[in-house]
Amino acid sequence: MAIFAPLTVGRQALLASERAIGVTGHNISNVNTPGYSRQTPVLHATRPDYQGFGTGVEVADVVRSVDGFLDARMRTSASSLGGATTGRQLLDRLQALFPVGDLGVGNALAEFFASANGLADSPQDLAVRNELLEAGHTLASQIRSAAGGLATLQREADQRLGQAAFDANAILQNLAQLNREVVAASRGGRGANDLLDQRQQALSELAKQLSIQVVEEADGGVNVFAASGQGLLIGTDAATLTTELDPTHIGLDGNPLSKIGIATRDGGVISLSGDIGGTIGKLLGLRDTTFPDDAAALDLLATNLRDAVNAVQTNAAGRDLDGNVGVAFFGGTGAADLDVAITDPRTIAAAQGANLADNSNAIALAGVAQQTFPALNGATLDEFFGSLHARIGQEARRAEDAATIEENVSAALAAQREAVSGVSLDEEFTNLIRYQRAFQAASQIINVSNILLDDLIGLVR
Amino acid sequence: MVSRVTERTLIADFSLAVGRLRRQQAEAQDALSSQKRLREPSDDPVGAARSTRLRGETKELGAYRDSVTIGRSALAAEDGVLGEAHDILIRAREIAASLSGGLATPEARQTAAEEVTELERGLLSLANTTVAGRYIFAGLSTTGPAFTSFDTPGFSPATAYTGPVDPFAVRTARDETVRITTNGGDVFDSSLQAIDGLRLALEAGNEPSGNLTALESAAEDIRQERASVGGRLARLQTRDQEIGSAVLTAQTLLADVEDADLTETITQLAQVQNALEATLTAGTSLLQTSILDYLKF
Repeated sequence: MAIFAPLTVGRQALLASERAIGVTGHNISNVNTPGYSRQTPVLHATRPDYQGFGTGVEVADVVRSVDGFLDARMRTSASSLGGATTGRQLLDRLQALFPVGDLGVGNALAEFFASANGLADSPQDLAVRNELLEAGHTLASQIRSAAGGLATLQREADQRLGQAAFDANAILQNLAQLNREVVAASRGGRGANDLLDQRQQALSELAKQLSIQVVEEADGGVNVFAASGQGLLIGTDAATLTTELDPTHIGLDGNPLSKIGIATRDGGVISLSGDIGGTIGKLLGLRDTTFPDDAAALDLLATNLRDAVNAVQTNAAGRDLDGNVGVAFFGGTGAADLDVAITDPRTIAAAQGANLADNSNAIALAGVAQQTFPALNGATLDEFFGSLHARIGQEARRAEDAATIEENVSAALAAQREAVSGVSLDEEFTNLIRYQRAFQAASQIINVSNILLDDLIGLVR
Repeated sequence: MVSRVTERTLIADFSLAVGRLRRQQAEAQDALSSQKRLREPSDDPVGAARSTRLRGETKELGAYRDSVTIGRSALAAEDGVLGEAHDILIRAREIAASLSGGLATPEARQTAAEEVTELERGLLSLANTTVAGRYIFAGLSTTGPAFTSFDTPGFSPATAYTGPVDPFAVRTARDETVRITTNGGDVFDSSLQAIDGLRLALEAGNEPSGNLTALESAAEDIRQERASVGGRLARLQTRDQEIGSAVLTAQTLLADVEDADLTETITQLAQVQNALEATLTAGTSLLQTSILDYLKF
């Protein structure tokens, strides 16, 4: 044990305290940084000298407090939350197309048949005929606008897919870069704590867009796969998600929808397959199932309404105000282009037979409201619309509930993560005092060593 | 509950709780100001469909009520007309009875013939009565008249009716139509022929006792038709009441589905407000507590 040993020990202690204060400061600085995991200096006694005397302290490592399982669980939750949030947004807009109260298709339907009953009261009255014509226009335009709204929503879902792919690509590029840096840092023996936090955060962001599987490699890098097993990131090699118009997949608005997949080197696209999950999976589900199903139901309503009303209007016994056989009342091929085909109220066939004051055909027209249709599962028009209305309400309700539940799950997980990884200012300030005191004490060691040296040198004089 | 609570946990919990309470507050506020429990389909999907159906049903009932009103006004007019027609036939019978037997002179019969002519014109004009421009004894047709004029050359009571054969019916329920007109020929042919016969007999100066039976049976026809009209009028009145109570039921059901329970909503709002105030008080005082206030470096 040399006279200089305490000086060395003191210097080591000063350095260790400085570094510990540095780590604490780093924690305090990042108290609000998303995804940051608190770090703790690991203090070790340095190796003793050859005589077995202690040589002081060192900061051997700085570790971050994380729970790997929690991170994986949070990614799953991020996928569910991403999907649920998207679902809530779009389905809330969907239900706005089918309002409650004195608006919407259901009311227009009732209004139309009430007007038909009115025509039966006064078959020769032009004002009443005009009213029926107007009610027909209102009904057709309500159905058209609901169908148009569905087509718009489907197109929006399609465009959002492009945006989601764009966002995912930016994250994948970022992840590739982070992988490179993490691997380089661990090769060089440098700590990569903050890079790991950033990568974790980026993985969660990516999981919002689609479900992912993350596999950690021995060198510190991660590989990322879609739920189907398609590779998204292998080491530093990031795949590119891309959308391209698929001419075989026509949307409700008559234009092709896009297919989303991984770009190949030769310019092709391999579609994402399986349970894609996340925002992208939800968008695909809405675009390819929910919206087309609702539109198909609306189409069924429109075509059955059109055919039933036209059948009454064009039946051979029916006569219009001028004694002619009636013509088709509704035109169009479905919900999207349903329209009133006649302009002259005189051409509505209210009578049957030669007596133009007769109202039998108008009564038959009003009776269409009570007609049941095999194509509508044996329901009447308004019953069928009622079930569609309820279904849309339920879809929106489920989406709201799912989003609320996922928000709760995500909040609970965030609280758990915070419990493990979060920075507590109480703790950090306590540590700060601890390390400050240690620093002050180490200074005293140096001070005392200095005095001892002085004394020793004084002997020589 | 997690074991280690950081400032950020507190802040996240606090803002989540406040956000949730604010949302509940907004919902209660919306329910109060709109007085509606059902504002979009997802509030109650089945209720939304029910509400649309009930509104449709109310409209349908409204249409039936319009039909009933039209039917009642036509039938009431018919009832009045048939009453007057009956009076005319009674008067004609009086004339016929008073001029029967040998006492009446041919001159007196000639004079009476003029009155009977007027009665016949009167009867024709009654048979041509319109309601809102529609001939009530010609299937409510707007094209008329139902009976040709007395002054038309070659007028004959047997062929005077020119309106449609089929009666007019209104739809007063999904599966009920009520006939509100009777073919004018069926109603008035016997009366017109009886009066016309009396007129011709008197004009010829003949003794009219042979016309009494025809007049009597014509009056009976009118009475029968009037009874039928009365019966249908009563049916429509009942139907009107039925519709009235059905509308009331539909509206009550609609209110159940759609309307907010004010007491409940206000109580909810008060609860939310209490919770919000408590959260804000607790939250702000908690978040203001910091170790920094107690440290001296």
